[in-house]
Amino acid sequence: MSSIVYGHFTDELDLLDAVKELQEKGIKIADVRTPFPVHGLDTALNLRRSRLPKVAFIAGAVGGTLGMLFQIWVFTVGWPLNIGGKPQLAIPSFIPVAFELTVLFAAFAMGIAFLLRSNLGPGQIPDILDEDVTNDHFQVILSEKNNQVTEPELIEALKAAGALDVKHVNSTK
Amino acid sequence: MEKQNIQEPVPFQFNQKIKKWLLIAAGIGLLALLWGILITQAPASRIWANLWMNALMFLFLGLGALFFWTVNSLGESTWQINFQRVLEAMALTIPFAGLFLILAFPGMGSIFEWTHTEHHDEILSEKSAYLNIPFWMVRFAIYFIAWSFFAFYLRKISVKNDFEPRETYLKKTRSTSGWFMVFFAVSSSMAAWDWLMSIDAHWFSTLYGWYIFSGMFVSALSVIIIITVAFKKFNILPNVNREHLHDLGKFLFGFSIFWAYLWISQFLLIWYANIPEETIYYITRKEHFNDLFYLNVGINFLFPFLALMTRNAKRQTTYLAIIALVVLLGHYLDLYLAIFPGAVGHEAASIGLLEIGLPFFYLAAFLTIFFVVFGKAKPVPQNHPYLIESSSYENI
Amino acid sequence: MMHVSPIREPLINGEKSYNDITNDVMAPVKAKPGKLWYVGLTISALLALAGVGAIIYTIWNGIGLWGVNRTIGWGWSITNFVWWVGIGHVGTFISAILLLFRQKWRTSINRAAEAMTLFAVMCAGLFPLIHMGRLPLGFFIFPYPNTRELWPNFNSPLLWDVFAITTYLLVSLLFWYMGLIPDLGTIRDKMKTAWKKKVYNFLSFGWKGSARHWSRHESMSLILAGLAAPLVLSVHTIVSFDFATSIIPGWHTTIFPPYFVSGAVFSGFAMVLTLMIVTRKALNLEEYITVGHVESMNKVIIATGSIVGIAYITELFMAWYSGVEYERYAFVNRALGPYAWAYWIMMTCNVISPQLLWIRKLRRNLAFTFGLSIFINIGMWFERFVIVVTSLHRDYLPSSWAMYKPTWVEVLIYLGTFGIFFTFFFIFIRVFPVIAMAEVKSVARSSARKFLGKSVKQKPEKNH
Repeated sequence: MSSIVYGHFTDELDLLDAVKELQEKGIKIADVRTPFPVHGLDTALNLRRSRLPKVAFIAGAVGGTLGMLFQIWVFTVGWPLNIGGKPQLAIPSFIPVAFELTVLFAAFAMGIAFLLRSNLGPGQIPDILDEDVTNDHFQVILSEKNNQVTEPELIEALKAAGALDVKHVNSTK
Repeated sequence: MEKQNIQEPVPFQFNQKIKKWLLIAAGIGLLALLWGILITQAPASRIWANLWMNALMFLFLGLGALFFWTVNSLGESTWQINFQRVLEAMALTIPFAGLFLILAFPGMGSIFEWTHTEHHDEILSEKSAYLNIPFWMVRFAIYFIAWSFFAFYLRKISVKNDFEPRETYLKKTRSTSGWFMVFFAVSSSMAAWDWLMSIDAHWFSTLYGWYIFSGMFVSALSVIIIITVAFKKFNILPNVNREHLHDLGKFLFGFSIFWAYLWISQFLLIWYANIPEETIYYITRKEHFNDLFYLNVGINFLFPFLALMTRNAKRQTTYLAIIALVVLLGHYLDLYLAIFPGAVGHEAASIGLLEIGLPFFYLAAFLTIFFVVFGKAKPVPQNHPYLIESSSYENI
Repeated sequence: MMHVSPIREPLINGEKSYNDITNDVMAPVKAKPGKLWYVGLTISALLALAGVGAIIYTIWNGIGLWGVNRTIGWGWSITNFVWWVGIGHVGTFISAILLLFRQKWRTSINRAAEAMTLFAVMCAGLFPLIHMGRLPLGFFIFPYPNTRELWPNFNSPLLWDVFAITTYLLVSLLFWYMGLIPDLGTIRDKMKTAWKKKVYNFLSFGWKGSARHWSRHESMSLILAGLAAPLVLSVHTIVSFDFATSIIPGWHTTIFPPYFVSGAVFSGFAMVLTLMIVTRKALNLEEYITVGHVESMNKVIIATGSIVGIAYITELFMAWYSGVEYERYAFVNRALGPYAWAYWIMMTCNVISPQLLWIRKLRRNLAFTFGLSIFINIGMWFERFVIVVTSLHRDYLPSSWAMYKPTWVEVLIYLGTFGIFFTFFFIFIRVFPVIAMAEVKSVARSSARKFLGKSVKQKPEKNH
């Protein structure tokens, strides 16, 4: 059973300063929760750039290729028709549908990947420690598990960085 | 953490070294022309078409830059302030483009078939109220006088603001930009009809004006990128940072896709309806200029689409400049395909030393005028209310 | 941290803190709806029911109930389809294209505009379905392996439309919902009623504002914007292909794709203005949807309206320039023939009236903007009517020339779609936050009056 220490800030600039301070002390931050994306937080926390764009690109390429190949198959093998004298391989005609499928596949693959990767989804129950985190509190969460320091020291460090309402909770995780 | 410290730029010197290179380039161009005339003995139509094509590309760079400058002023955007003087100097090359076009006037007879009134068939007669030399000349004059006026006036108030900053400066720039935009919207299309579409005078396309505009804009963007990257490297514009170049890269990416969108719109619709008087335009190009036809789409769409897709690609300065250069060459090809099949014909047209060498002369002329104009004012607008905002933003 | 020039107008007026933003935007969701809301919802629902009735009547009895005939096969149904689809483009335009251009003012209106998009596209989608006639056989349009060994005709723009509209509806829904998740988390945490909390808990997917999640969310939003931007252009382009791929004078013209897209954004922004000017007052959101926002939207209107105007002039000129007698007649007929009244309404509303927006005072005048936005939507309806009907009623063969008049069934169906649209909209403003709270908060530091420390020393705004 390890302990979770958390506190909040009312201002995102204070939050950024606090994060820097904690990191300078060598304390690893378990999570930071904010009501909106704070610019500069990603770099401050050394978060790796999301790979979702790659998912989108690959899925889009698959969608576009499938769309194009399917249409070509339909018009050359499946049900070849003479539409206004157009050739069977009417590539210009096939572009609109192939493009739409590219966008559709890319968007949904990325959306689903986002939800899966972040463990979000219908019915997920979040471990909310401070209900105002979605309103106007900027929360920093430290875990005893990640850090070499003990819980009272974490509380001290968080208070020193300017956090308000520093609490601790025993976590079963 | 506001980046309030605006670095002092290295003052720009149009020095002997640059002049030497420009002279060499001009020399190459003239040699290519002489080669074409004397040694290859290219037919007159091909020579004139080359002069026409180069003069038009010269114009596109300046006109596209003027458009970019005014549209950003109207949109109250600020990121371009740090390299606005590049746009201004490019815009002031417009009157000289007019001169180069005038130099090609003697070749009008070979470029435009509608000038030969004695050979008019029914279709050309129907258009003669618009396509006749006097009216055409009057329009030519109006376009250039107006465009030049706008470029000069906007430049004047921009430079004046360096010394006597006024509250009304932004408002005046915006309202002048508004007037320009209205005139430009009409005149750019009409100029495209007059100078390019009428080469294939039996053909027509309502999208043509906008299609040429998109190529014009992308060409101008490419040159803006190359010049800005160069100036950044030589510390003439030290406050142009990766964010600005990222944005320019986004524009190049996005508008290359826009160009391709207009290209495919025009092509698909004409292909689909299969009406002979429209398809002849594409049949000529697909049958006799086949490789170039597909290369055009490849260089101007596929290449920038793949090369500039990632965030990192748009933030690497040298890489971006190289892509821009390739896209610029691609739009030269687009202009070639717009002019040569109709003006020269597939038997006489080819890409030889004349086509490759002559642009160097126009490049030299363009850069000379650009450097002279750029040197006449401070590299960055002083006292501009948006200057700090321009230097201190971040892209996601 | 981005520096914002001090001469820029603030995007959030009043002294609003983050908490204020949450409470102000959540107020309509938490509070019990007032009398006006019930009245509005009832009228819309009744109108929707009437429309659905007319639709069922049509499906039961056939398209003969409509005014369409052999010469003019597409009348009000397709006019309405293009009109609604056009309006449905604005949400994605605001969320995607304005995001790519870093226009922060979009944050107050994108949520409502995206919702509007979804409802408009749903209304639009009704028309191609019901105009088919034998709707029970409607599944034929989907490519699935069948015993008839038939496949749909991928050479047909009408089929491209099926894919385009479906993709657009689904991707817009995805984009809208993904953006909504953080705000649903906010509502969940602020909601006190137990059953409501459970519902929002379910809808918010377990969002907790974690930095890692935000990082992915931002990356995804940017890519979705990058995907949605060409999607928006492609959808109305494909709709324009329904006409432009034909050989009919007035329809077959290469300028249609970008011209239709501009027209769509034009009419879409007009509809957003119509709705937002009323909504901001009704829901007390005037400090978030400011006069500055209205002015920015008006600038988009004048830009796209001018593009539409230039397209009209280009078409007119090119019809003459082409020398083709059928092209020339098509346009002479539009201006002087039996439907000239529709043509001149279109020209007045679309070309002349938006040009008044060059005047700054008018751009910032809410009453004028409201009136103009309605004019523009009327004008854009007539544009589609003129394109569809005048080109069909007199094309190549004079012996086929005919006239078209809608029947009450068609009119009622159209009014019914208004009912459907507004029913959804009224429900939307009670269930979901009309403004994207998280996004507005993220621009507050650089653009809210409170954070900029500006004193209220400006000229008093009229028409607040």
